[in-house]
Amino acid sequence: MNKFAEYVIKRRWLIVTAILLITIFFGYQITNLQINSDIITSLPDDDPAAKLFKEIGTEFGGNDMGMIVLETNDIFDAEVIDHIRIITDSVRFTQGVSSVTSLTNILDIKSSEWGIEIGKLVDEYDLPTTREELDSLKAYVLSKEMYKGAIVSDNATASAILFTLLPDADNQVVAKEIKTKVEKLDIPEKLYFGGLPMMMNEINNLIISDIVRLIPIIFIVLLVILWLSFRSFRNALLPLLTAGISVIWTLGIMSVTGYELTIITNIIPVVLLAVGSAYTIHVLNSVSHTLNHDKRQAVIKALGYVTIPVILAALTTAIGFISFVFGSYLLMIKDFGIFTAAGTLIALLLSLTFVPAFIFVFSNKNSNKNEVDNEEKKTFLTHRILLPLSRLLFKHPKYTLGAWILLLLIFIIGIFQLETSVNMADYFKRDNPTRVAEEMMQEKFGGSLPIFVVFKGDMQSPEVLQMMIKTENFLKDDPNVSVAQSVADLIEQMNDAMGEGRRIPDDKAKIEQLWFLLEGQEVMPQLVNDDLTKGVIQSKFASVDSKDIEAFTEKMNRFMAENNNANCQIELTGMPSVYVKLNSSLINSQYNSLLIAIIMVVLIVGAILQSFLKGIYAAIPVIATIVVLFGFMGVTGIPLDIATVLVASIALGIGIDYAIHVITGFNHYLTENGDAEKSIESVILSSGKAIVINVFSVSAGFLVLLFSQIVPLQNFGLLVAISMFGSGFGALTLLPIILILVNRKRKITANNHQHLNLKK
Amino acid sequence: MKTNFRTAVLTVLIGAGTVCSAVAQDATTILQKMDEVMYSQKDMTGKNKIILIDKAGKQEIREATIQQKGTDKRMFRFTAPASQAGIAFLSLPGDVMYMYLPAFGRERRIASSAKNQNFAGTDFSYEDMESVPFSQKYTPKLIKTETDAFVLELTPKVRSDFSKVTVSIHKEHFYPILMEYYDRGGNKVKEAKYTFKKIGNYWNPAEIEMTDLKKGHTTKMQMTDVKYDTGLSDDAFTVRALVQ
Repeated sequence: MNKFAEYVIKRRWLIVTAILLITIFFGYQITNLQINSDIITSLPDDDPAAKLFKEIGTEFGGNDMGMIVLETNDIFDAEVIDHIRIITDSVRFTQGVSSVTSLTNILDIKSSEWGIEIGKLVDEYDLPTTREELDSLKAYVLSKEMYKGAIVSDNATASAILFTLLPDADNQVVAKEIKTKVEKLDIPEKLYFGGLPMMMNEINNLIISDIVRLIPIIFIVLLVILWLSFRSFRNALLPLLTAGISVIWTLGIMSVTGYELTIITNIIPVVLLAVGSAYTIHVLNSVSHTLNHDKRQAVIKALGYVTIPVILAALTTAIGFISFVFGSYLLMIKDFGIFTAAGTLIALLLSLTFVPAFIFVFSNKNSNKNEVDNEEKKTFLTHRILLPLSRLLFKHPKYTLGAWILLLLIFIIGIFQLETSVNMADYFKRDNPTRVAEEMMQEKFGGSLPIFVVFKGDMQSPEVLQMMIKTENFLKDDPNVSVAQSVADLIEQMNDAMGEGRRIPDDKAKIEQLWFLLEGQEVMPQLVNDDLTKGVIQSKFASVDSKDIEAFTEKMNRFMAENNNANCQIELTGMPSVYVKLNSSLINSQYNSLLIAIIMVVLIVGAILQSFLKGIYAAIPVIATIVVLFGFMGVTGIPLDIATVLVASIALGIGIDYAIHVITGFNHYLTENGDAEKSIESVILSSGKAIVINVFSVSAGFLVLLFSQIVPLQNFGLLVAISMFGSGFGALTLLPIILILVNRKRKITANNHQHLNLKK
Repeated sequence: MKTNFRTAVLTVLIGAGTVCSAVAQDATTILQKMDEVMYSQKDMTGKNKIILIDKAGKQEIREATIQQKGTDKRMFRFTAPASQAGIAFLSLPGDVMYMYLPAFGRERRIASSAKNQNFAGTDFSYEDMESVPFSQKYTPKLIKTETDAFVLELTPKVRSDFSKVTVSIHKEHFYPILMEYYDRGGNKVKEAKYTFKKIGNYWNPAEIEMTDLKKGHTTKMQMTDVKYDTGLSDDAFTVRALVQ
């Protein structure tokens, strides 16, 4: 260990220069980093429902469905209809748009005694203008299931303009262009923008503005707290500098390896700023504790003391992050795990090389002053808070333990209230226009969550088409499904227009000829594939409640199992199906990643400290913290979602550090003086200070996320802060009590042995 | 000097005006000549092969017989593939159209309120299939003269899906070579390439290749066995003839 420290000091210039050059390189690479807020690309390919959803979305253009809703007193007004036409046109002539459907261009199949008309509901070049024409159009539209609740709301106060995007289009760019273009039209009616492309565009904007606003704030908050703690500008800046460098390297590596920033990976900078500073804080703390007039010897001695606990701390934190790779469903959470772990190890590397080298390069002259500072600081935090704390612990260890157990029992009750949420609209604050739009679309147009029922078979066979109709009727029985559309509907309408009734013909030849008339209609590629072997029922689900979605999926699965056969295979996919998977995966991945993390941490800590028991002791305050965390979420109603699912493992990764510092410190002092109680006191005074500073700086860093505009990130920040307090407090009270009680027992047994030996 | 200068300016202005009007005259004449080449025959019969080519290059072939009298009576009857054989469309003056589906054994009058819709899965719209002279629908402007073609820019006289159409017309024979359609967003969305052959006294569009640039879908219409002015009777263009 000393050799390493000497090497670092010897090669200090090389180290500082190399690190700065690498930082410049990665900093430049960050400019190429892309932002991707598309949650669909993050769905795993090994899940059949998600894979099907991605395929169907690409093939039938439905998962990139956007929606503009126009709201006014009465849609059936000449001016309003003209506005709908103008918006429809403006969307249609936007690059990247595949199709647009609205009141002014939707397909209509009319039949009368004299014949059949396959055309548009209204002639866009001759819109209805007289009251009479408008009233008759209104009556017609509201009488047809194809339109009511789909493009015009039941009470005719709102009308939807639906659009799909080309598979190779950049969703966010197109969504943004559409929104800008339509807003520029200055339509007097109230407009809402919704659907996944719009939501993702909005989230994207929020991510960027969050990053730009919050990161400087976090930086300043951390700087202030570190300065208050160390009263030294160098010691306040250096932890942030190393954390900042590790952020730059990590994002640079992401960029070089072709990864994108997502709604989850965009919190990597925040997490690394908070986490990555810890190692440097410990190194600096150790250096200033090592009183030695020879700077070189002080640094070497300090590194000797601190290297192992710091490596352990970083390794366990990294394991907390890596556990996401094994436990989670969404690819973006896996990416988050990998890169935050990488960033943590980078921060570790920097704290052990860059920091000592930097100290040597830049601060030879004022080393004496530092020592004076250190003497002063000792009295502040340590003697007012930490010393009384440790005294209290010795007096009443059993009471303190009892208090902890009572607290945990209360929170365990809270855990049973824990809920999950996967609804994208919940990511926005209540007053966010996108959320308002989503809620109104849910109310008036059956939501914006696409459902696809996929049929594989001969799409022109009577059997398959009849099954589609049967399925549609079954779908519409669900209170949350109001609209469903398929090619079977069109064939029924055509058959009716031919004078043979509203049903699927039994003769395939008839179907083929009706089909011939529909060919080339804009809507067809959204309903069947080119070689007519696959078709979809496009529908929407109105509820985002996990229970509704689960009940619906279960019911559909039963229906499909009953009706599947060799000629007609039915599969269900869509956002609700994905949400069900996502929802169950939240609990599963939480369970898996926590279990993996706890086992790994216990094993690693146990192995390095050469005692399995110590591994378990280290885990106790952290497990207690996790109980507090979930209990708190249950009580306050903060749901488990794609961001808050990360908290427990992060809390475990960071929280275990505190325990490790306490245990290694305890060992160190115990071998020095042999007295357990004195050792605890020394640990609380030395490591305790670093822990308290770390808890405050990390929590403050994460609490800045309360100002985020994305709700899960706000919750995430709050929960990490609570976890930090929990595990810091646990490491300084619960863990010492356990160590005291265990050592007392050991002492008593040891004494008994002595007595026995004496008697002999 | 001053007077001379004014005269010179006036001369140039008047000259330019004359040239301009001559050019405008020219554009109108050129377009009228093209209409004449395309629509002057009394009647026509022939076979039509329709080749649909999708984005991936996959082809689908349909065949039909076509009979036309004047510019407003037309019978279009599919002969292949088997599932579509017998499907027929009869167009009569005044936008009246009947359709016959053999599987149903009955005709229906069919109205297409929007002529901008594609005809039976091809890239041709109902409007493209009509024989309405271009000079009725568009105002032409000569934008360029190439070695073997005039290039006109056509602006629709009535509201249309297109903001403009540019057409290259053969200098000597006045048949169209290339038409390019631009949507109201100013993007080129459709393209038609023409191959004309002389049959008897008339130039015949032996092949029209229409490409929908947005969908990447192409339709080729090839004419064979074309006969002109055989004296088709009006009886060939009745509902009875449609049902056979």
